[in-house]
Amino acid sequence: MNNQPIIKMHNIHKSFNGISVLKGIDIEVNKSDVLAVIGPSGSGKSTLLRCLNNLETIDDGTIQVAEDFLTTSVNNKAVYADKITQKRILSRMGMVFQQFNLFPHMTVLENLLEAPVQVKNMKKDEVLPIAEDLLHKIGLFDKKDAYPSRLSGGQQQRVAIARALCMSPDIMLFDEPTSALDPELTIGVLNTMRQLAEEHMTMIVVTHEMGFARDVASNVIFMADGNIVEQGNPETFFTHPQEERTKSFLTNMLK
Amino acid sequence: MDNLVNTILLMLEGTKTTLNIFFITLILSIPIGLLVSLSRLSTIKPLSWLMELYIWIMRGTPLMLQLLFVYFALPMVGIRLSDISAALLAFVLNYAAYFAEIFRAGIQSINRGQYEAAKTLGMSYPQTMRRIILPQVIRRVLPPISNETINLVKDTSLIYILAMNDLLRVARTIVQREFDMTPFIVAAIFYLVMTFILTWIFKRLEAHYGKYEV
Repeated sequence: MNNQPIIKMHNIHKSFNGISVLKGIDIEVNKSDVLAVIGPSGSGKSTLLRCLNNLETIDDGTIQVAEDFLTTSVNNKAVYADKITQKRILSRMGMVFQQFNLFPHMTVLENLLEAPVQVKNMKKDEVLPIAEDLLHKIGLFDKKDAYPSRLSGGQQQRVAIARALCMSPDIMLFDEPTSALDPELTIGVLNTMRQLAEEHMTMIVVTHEMGFARDVASNVIFMADGNIVEQGNPETFFTHPQEERTKSFLTNMLK
Repeated sequence: MDNLVNTILLMLEGTKTTLNIFFITLILSIPIGLLVSLSRLSTIKPLSWLMELYIWIMRGTPLMLQLLFVYFALPMVGIRLSDISAALLAFVLNYAAYFAEIFRAGIQSINRGQYEAAKTLGMSYPQTMRRIILPQVIRRVLPPISNETINLVKDTSLIYILAMNDLLRVARTIVQREFDMTPFIVAAIFYLVMTFILTWIFKRLEAHYGKYEV
């Protein structure tokens, strides 16, 4: 196992209109790790993920991805890297959203081809085998010419995962990927994610799926009110939580 | 009978003028409207304010007044336009403002998640607009655009004020000369045919751009 962190976030501060949502968060993720971030709504876990891939800007802190710094902290203020560095960092990360956010006017296959062709300037013929391979992997090859509106939520989310993978990222970020799905449909999505973890993809997963966190994650972080309350490997975290806040959350979740 | 054929022929001549104004206005004001809406949504504040002012003036004054202004007031500052150019200038400026607001509503109705998905995939703002946002906007703005387009057909009749012989003015001239109301009925039929064709075209466009919807 490679123990060099591929993601380092240090002392992350973020507030929305004066309300502090991240109060000095530190996380490190090693290559091939699966980090599960859990916690109640409003704890800042989604915001943390969105700060990492630049959908939100932080007020202070350091974000490092591989050898590049997205931000450095100067006089208690985050200073962002130049656009080219930002682009390079962001290209290492794929993102999966709670609401899937597939492009509704494109077929499944077109959704997958879009970014490699437009952003990486790849030829359609070059991407096609990669995209078709991914669709086989998620078991939706037969839906390649369907529009997203014809798919179930679970199928849409698997396509969204494949779309992100089609850009061959080193890291996959999941923002509550199953929260908008019926329990029955989450299984397929979780299986796809499990498969990805088995292939040693580095993953950060914000989730309410305790079973998934327990089985798949290599590390679990519990957040509440913009702070990390507790973290550890899933085994000890779920069986012997130390903090009262964690205990009450887990009792509620597992009820 | 001969009389009726004659009337129709004269009115076809007027329809030519009507269609001329209609098509040129449409072809110019839609892209200009799109540019205005993008500028109006720009983060460059002065540009956005300027567009707001333009839209306010164009929507806030009668098109008739704008026509008169372009034709009669501009020559006073040395800008002399032919009647057709003056009419086109006023129509394009006016309709671009309305189209701009339609496009703005369409662009703002697209879910933020679409921008975020495109951004996390590495797409630039122009790529996102061109490939992701605008194709969806087109679908959503077709009904209001269709409305405005049908309005435009009828608004062209305002050019009579510049003494241009459009369909309605020709009809009125014949009515006044011959004391016969038939030309009005013929004109109504002409307008109905034009708007019917437009309605049909927009229906087809909506079906085409909406094929991804359930």
